[in-house]
Amino acid sequence: MSTSKKIGFAITGLLMLAGLVAWGIQVKEGLVLTNMRNSYTWGLYVAGLAFFVGNAAGGLVLSSMIYLFGVTSLKPFAKIGALCAFANVTAAMLAILPDIGQPIRLYNLVLHPQWRSPLVWDIIVLNLYAALSLLYLYLLMLPDFQGPLKKIALKVDHPKEFSEKWAKRLAPYSLAAAVGIHVITAWIFATQGARDWWNSAVLAPDFVAAALASGTAIVLLVCLLTYGLKDEYTQAYRTMAIFIAVALFTHIFFMYNDFFIHYWYGATEALDVLSITFKKYALAHAFEVVAPLAGVILLLSSNVRKSAGAMMTSCFLIIAGIFVHRFLLMPGAFDRVPLTIAPLGMQNTEFSVPIASGQYEPLMNTFVTEWHYFPSGIEIAIFLGVLAYVGFLIILAIDRLPIVKIEKAQT
Amino acid sequence: MRRGMVIDLEKCIGCRSCVVACKQHNAQPAGNWWNRVVTPGSERHLTPPEKGKEYFLPIHCQHCNNAPCEKVCPVNATYTEEDGTVLVDFERCIGCRYCMAACPYGVRQFNWEDPKKATARYGYQDGYTYGHPQEFRLKGRLVYMPSRFKGVVEKCNFCVHYADKGLDPACVRGCPGNARHVGDLDDPDSRVSKMIRDKNGFTLLPEKGTKPNVYYLPPKRKEV
Repeated sequence: MSTSKKIGFAITGLLMLAGLVAWGIQVKEGLVLTNMRNSYTWGLYVAGLAFFVGNAAGGLVLSSMIYLFGVTSLKPFAKIGALCAFANVTAAMLAILPDIGQPIRLYNLVLHPQWRSPLVWDIIVLNLYAALSLLYLYLLMLPDFQGPLKKIALKVDHPKEFSEKWAKRLAPYSLAAAVGIHVITAWIFATQGARDWWNSAVLAPDFVAAALASGTAIVLLVCLLTYGLKDEYTQAYRTMAIFIAVALFTHIFFMYNDFFIHYWYGATEALDVLSITFKKYALAHAFEVVAPLAGVILLLSSNVRKSAGAMMTSCFLIIAGIFVHRFLLMPGAFDRVPLTIAPLGMQNTEFSVPIASGQYEPLMNTFVTEWHYFPSGIEIAIFLGVLAYVGFLIILAIDRLPIVKIEKAQT
Repeated sequence: MRRGMVIDLEKCIGCRSCVVACKQHNAQPAGNWWNRVVTPGSERHLTPPEKGKEYFLPIHCQHCNNAPCEKVCPVNATYTEEDGTVLVDFERCIGCRYCMAACPYGVRQFNWEDPKKATARYGYQDGYTYGHPQEFRLKGRLVYMPSRFKGVVEKCNFCVHYADKGLDPACVRGCPGNARHVGDLDDPDSRVSKMIRDKNGFTLLPEKGTKPNVYYLPPKRKEV
């Protein structure tokens, strides 16, 4: 095992352990250890769900481009795509787990599912996608199983043809499941009439667009880390870069299209919500737009694509920008109390009706109209633990499974 | 039978007795208040936002007919009884707080920590406790308990444990202004239906399409 892998295992392993300990403490003490309260009920954990679900899109992009649209230059990376998809979709489920106040009661989801709830649909489609991406990875690895791994290989006469045939057959289903995870995750938010920030028909298409950008950027990042820059991959990297750019431009168009319509009409509620993102979170919003835009503009330059480091930095900018975008799902929805009324008989007055905070502190207000949320140490530790899990799983799989083509086999 | 409530803002004096009665009867842990009364337009309760303009607005669960909280609950822990009352089954709730994100009225509360621990923060003398002492099950479902589990959501249950005994909710019985009334909204001849009809009853956030079973009667003059 190389030193860089050892360091990778050590860092991700420690972060995972720290996250697990933090979750243990939170289970014992309750969600009071987070900075969420009654008026701000969702935070980093739910933003993490949206973030990792989006990152899981990479597998779909690769498999459908190769097997549905015939972009064969990407073939060496198909396995990395499926692996990133599996790692991220399972991370999405892990990210949401600590948000549950009574985790031991999760069996109620099986015993008493409520079919109108988008959360139930999401859990089903996320599990389906996880199973599908694992199956995909297995199929793609089938011809390359050697040594002790032979035991888990399906006994077929022509593994190479078998793998190719089934990868092709599964591609449309994986495309449907992959679009499904983004649309349904977006519907968790978009269906909520109580939150003007989410209640938009453009949210689901925007989730798909943002996911295609960050999901492909993650695959590209892992490809660069494992294969590096080689002449034979130039075309494949260029294809991915263009795909990421188109997806990101679409995402920014969808987002500003929505803002523009609300801003033009100028309803007080809509302007209030917009001002949270544009004033209170101005820096974060600037970052979510500028960082990924800079990332894709760099990636589109053939000069930048001559340096692995510059490409990786660009991918990182895109992923970080999308992360901030996912985090900004929350302030617009929760900073402002949704129950605002125009007091009877008073002109031009809008009144936010306070909410009980949920925590008694002698010096704190009992009822609040605003809640300033920034994740607590426990929340950040748990989130980093989930992020580390993605890295750990990817390094482990690349180390143990025939995912990366070995140089010797080539010659 | 659709159980509804009418709150006459003309009669409400802003004393918050209903808030206190609700808190005490339903054993709400420190920090949680199922019921609240505000002075619309003013930062401070009981302070006129403008001279001569002052009224009070009590707000709790609106027991909506099209309740978003019920539709989002992944495990059917929040459900609607036959009479339209929206209830939370404390044994079923997994604590995902989706219902709290879905409610436009901000009436849902969470047990962020063990409620016993939360209430101990009050530092009451000799471990004083409050609340209806017995748990109550409606058709087997745990809809009232004096000490909630950590990590579950709670909200106004329309005093379902008292309704079972033929009693009105604690806030209705505890209102010194007799501003609150409970009755059958399906019956056009019921007292509450007549009050809504005769006195221009309205609901909160009608544009959200939640169709509440709690109606308000506008105040004719402002109490100063």
